[in-house]
Amino acid sequence: MSQAKPKEPNSGPPGRLPMDIKHIKSLVELMVENDLSRIELHEGDSHIVLRRGGAARPAGSLLTTPSLPAAAPPPSPTSAPASGEQFIRSPMVGTFYASADPESPPFVNVGSTIEPNTVVCLIEAMKVFNELKAEMSGRITKVLVKNGAAVEFDQPLFAVAPA
Amino acid sequence: MGRGVRMFTRILVANRGEIALRVIRACRDLGIEAVAVYSRADRDAAYLQLANDAICIGPESPAASYLNAPAILSAAVIADVQAIHPGYGFLAENARFAQMCRDCKIEFIGPSAEAMHLLGDKVQARKLAKQAKVPVVPGSDGPVEDENEAVAVANKIGYPVMIKAVAGGGGRGMRPAHNEATLRSSFRQARAEAEAAFKDGSLYIEKLIERPRHVEVQLLGDQKGNILHLWERDCTLQRRHQKLLEESPSPHISARTRAKLCTAAVRLAAAARYYSAGTCEFLVDEDENFYFVEVNARIQVEHPVTELVTGQDLVQWQIRIAAGEPLKLRQDDIRQDGWAIECRINAESPDHGFRPSPGPIEQFIAPGGPGVRLDTHAYAGYTVSPHYDSLIAKLLVHRPTRLEAISAMRRALQEFVIRPIKTTIPLHATLLEQADFIKGNVDTGFIERLLGQPTR
Repeated sequence: MSQAKPKEPNSGPPGRLPMDIKHIKSLVELMVENDLSRIELHEGDSHIVLRRGGAARPAGSLLTTPSLPAAAPPPSPTSAPASGEQFIRSPMVGTFYASADPESPPFVNVGSTIEPNTVVCLIEAMKVFNELKAEMSGRITKVLVKNGAAVEFDQPLFAVAPA
Repeated sequence: MGRGVRMFTRILVANRGEIALRVIRACRDLGIEAVAVYSRADRDAAYLQLANDAICIGPESPAASYLNAPAILSAAVIADVQAIHPGYGFLAENARFAQMCRDCKIEFIGPSAEAMHLLGDKVQARKLAKQAKVPVVPGSDGPVEDENEAVAVANKIGYPVMIKAVAGGGGRGMRPAHNEATLRSSFRQARAEAEAAFKDGSLYIEKLIERPRHVEVQLLGDQKGNILHLWERDCTLQRRHQKLLEESPSPHISARTRAKLCTAAVRLAAAARYYSAGTCEFLVDEDENFYFVEVNARIQVEHPVTELVTGQDLVQWQIRIAAGEPLKLRQDDIRQDGWAIECRINAESPDHGFRPSPGPIEQFIAPGGPGVRLDTHAYAGYTVSPHYDSLIAKLLVHRPTRLEAISAMRRALQEFVIRPIKTTIPLHATLLEQADFIKGNVDTGFIERLLGQPTR
């Protein structure tokens, strides 16, 4: 394509990286060993921030990408599900709510058995709360989105082991 | 920036394809974050990666995605943008959508809902043009009761005339009549056809402009009431009312007509209290009489032609005007410099009645060199979707003179390779070899005659 590559504020030529890749690798190992979620290091003009776990982004959603062009296209609907695993997907752009109100427990958790009519979450769009039904039978194996997160059309919300 | 102007920091691009990319580029130039929306069919499009965020708003069907106003507004709220750019087509001229955006405290990058409403209504727009002393095609000024009234109108304005369905559009529901006898017989047929096609048999009469040229004036207005023109574009080369090649200046009009045309367009925009970018379309006859056709209240596909000759960035201006910035330009600052031509490259097969030719692009070699601009969202590996418009690239050249521009365009077309899908590249190459085109001796029926198709 003839267009210019987007400028990525955090990427520069290799020589200007704050530290070499070996050093970063050892930092990552250190983080894993000690179960650290964040390391911030300053060295002269350069600094590096490493984060792990914690605020994981919903898989494939570009919504929570910071102000950088997305590194990868959104996953295709069929990409890499575990054997027999199916997904309950968002039917619209909106905000995901796991429970009916902040005081209530979530509609479903990992391990919950679902029927086609089971309400699994609310999706709020334009101030309207829409109940989302499972439309399949099985057991929830993963909740892929955090309460209150923005979701896009077709985004996987729950992984389900079908009955 | 003046008082009361707060430039947006983040806007949503409510469109797809080349115009989505064009708006994203304008955002980058202005240092504004751009949020793209896309349908499931466009999920792999490369331009989405140039946006700061991209949100899937629905399935393939335009009605469920790019025309889905609630989904787009919902995405805008979630993405926390201050404004929406609608591009062209889809929701760009939907006054209700513009109002919905503003009701949600999100600026719609375009004119006011009132101006869109006023200019979107054919009868109202014609009335406004007459008030602003802008010539309109002589006609019945509304539906005629019966064939006797039709004949009376035709006698007054002179033959030939065109019978048109009030509910028609895009060339449908029209019949020419060259004398009273054909008018009477055609009138009855046209009424039956209009009733069958549009469930509305109302007809009106207009003078038939023979061998017309299509010339349009680019306008820019700010929210303070300043209105400027950015000269004209000639879009005479069309097929079934779809423009194929555009240029600026128009090779068909004298300097005197050009000045009259441009000031007439400014008068009409002022009467509509128009702001943002807009285009006033005219038909020009062989004697250089011009007649108002309609106003397009949006950015147009062919806007880069004007950008090349004036050096102004129209999409940036739309954004700046929506943010409340006044036009600091004066009319005298806007020059028409050199000659620009645009060829629309569509994924169509001209040999098979312009049948759409969607599918994967395996080879894509972009033209370049002096004076070439290419606006496209396509590349090798891109698949042209059957769900949307067939426009895949706009190839433009800008040179000092028309002959040099034609020469550069021929060179660029020769370099341009898109395989294996069929495109309009060979048709454009043929057009640019026609002696009548080079001499500027064309009208809106030229391509259909060249291809041996009925001009209707």
